[in-house]
Amino acid sequence: MTNEPAVAFEAASKAYGPVRAVDGLDLAVPPGETVALLGRNGAGKSTAIGLLLGLDTPDSGRVRLFGGAPAGAVAAGRVGAMLQEGRPVPRVTVRELLTFVARTYPSPMPVAEALALAGLTALADRRVERLSGGQVQRVRFAVALAGNPELIVLDEPTNALDVEARQEFWDAMRGYARRGNTVLFSTHYLEEADAHADRIVVLDSGRILADGTGEELKRAAGGGLVAFDLAGGPTEWLGTLPGVTSVEIRGDRARLRTDDSDATVRALAARDAIRSLEVAPVSLNDAFLALTHKPAAALKEPEPTR
Amino acid sequence: MITAYVRLEVRRTLRDAGFTISTIGVPVMMYLLFTNLGTDDGSFATAAMVGMAAYGALGAALSLGTGVAEDKSTGWLRQLRVTPMTPRQVVTGRALTGSVVVLPAIAGVLLAGGLANGVRMAAWQWAAVALTLWLGSLPFTLLGIGNGYRLSAQTTGVVNVACNLGLAVVGGLWFPTVLFPSWLRTISEYTPTNRFAELGVAMTEGTAPGAGALAVLAVWTALFGMYAAVSYRRSARTV
Repeated sequence: MTNEPAVAFEAASKAYGPVRAVDGLDLAVPPGETVALLGRNGAGKSTAIGLLLGLDTPDSGRVRLFGGAPAGAVAAGRVGAMLQEGRPVPRVTVRELLTFVARTYPSPMPVAEALALAGLTALADRRVERLSGGQVQRVRFAVALAGNPELIVLDEPTNALDVEARQEFWDAMRGYARRGNTVLFSTHYLEEADAHADRIVVLDSGRILADGTGEELKRAAGGGLVAFDLAGGPTEWLGTLPGVTSVEIRGDRARLRTDDSDATVRALAARDAIRSLEVAPVSLNDAFLALTHKPAAALKEPEPTR
Repeated sequence: MITAYVRLEVRRTLRDAGFTISTIGVPVMMYLLFTNLGTDDGSFATAAMVGMAAYGALGAALSLGTGVAEDKSTGWLRQLRVTPMTPRQVVTGRALTGSVVVLPAIAGVLLAGGLANGVRMAAWQWAAVALTLWLGSLPFTLLGIGNGYRLSAQTTGVVNVACNLGLAVVGGLWFPTVLFPSWLRTISEYTPTNRFAELGVAMTEGTAPGAGALAVLAVWTALFGMYAAVSYRRSARTV
């Protein structure tokens, strides 16, 4: 095998009417890497995944899987996918479904193994439509990996999962990634991206805002956070303090993002503005917000159900 | 690959209680009801048997489209697109599924004819009737698939029921067309269902199927085939 990237977007764009859902996306994922596509709802994650799987074609630019067209890689059985939308396929058992999916691939894993990896062994003979939401999600994961593909693509895989099911899911995913497979998943949960991906690609308005490890993103967002109580004092001068890159006032509390927290704190102390002073390294959450300049509320909104 | 798909889809279809009742139960019941009301010289029991078996096959073939529309709305068709199965294999598998699931519908009514109504024919005639009805259901499978790919799940259900009842009644599957006013009888002769049943009846009488019947059916098969192909192509981009 050559060292072709498993996934490559080359200036790919896709518009729906006036909305540029994916806007000049450039991204290469080497084989064996686990990558998170992180972004708010409507950031272009699902569109990017649709292009990647050949469900859609880009208006301009191109998408390659293992050096070829997505449709070719899919037809060759090198790709498995867990799509976001959809209800479970009715009137089949879990085992029947996985047996069928496995047969469509050239070198599938044994069905028992797919069942075990997804934690479905005990549910194998149940009808898919009679399972709970979390169980159905695991079935869809099992469908994605039943063919033993080199690349699995998971669109918001942990939607509708509770905390425990989520943990089990990620354990299963890591088990699969450890075999040297490439995994690309989308999420709007920062913690998930940070905890389970080698690399985080932050998408917003169809463009890549940042690309790196969680640590790199934090560093890119700059230094630290300094917060203190204003006690009714003026706020205009805060932006002129040394190191400060952004100012946010929440009620009576000022939150300053700074790339030199020492200098900022010294300047504040000189003005005696240190009531309830707090200095913290920037969190990934703050890093993400700094990158997207959007309020935190928008980040946690549940996906609209289709 | 296609075999595995057909097996899965046949299972799914036969597990649908609505499908089984409407395509096997209802035609058998209607057949027994119609043929045992009033007196009969035996010829009606045979003709009605073919008509009702054709009706069952028609319903089964069309309901395939309802299944396609359902799979479109649940996202199953989209999921299939990310497996190595090509869309062409999927639609072929669907059509083959149709050819399998019409069989119990045909067999149900023929069994009722032979066992309950004492219809007697030579063994080759039974086989010929079954085979004719089986092959002749192809245009209806295509019509169902066309509807399924083109329309939403709800609309497909309604349209398929309308096609089913309309084609069955006008085609004379329920009541012999001799009872129709002459204008309706003329229309009836151009319906695929009427000619479909005519083929089956020809087998029961041991005569060769008429050229007119074959020509009308061929035209409908081509039309429905084009309809299915166009609908499929249009929806394959959006599924």
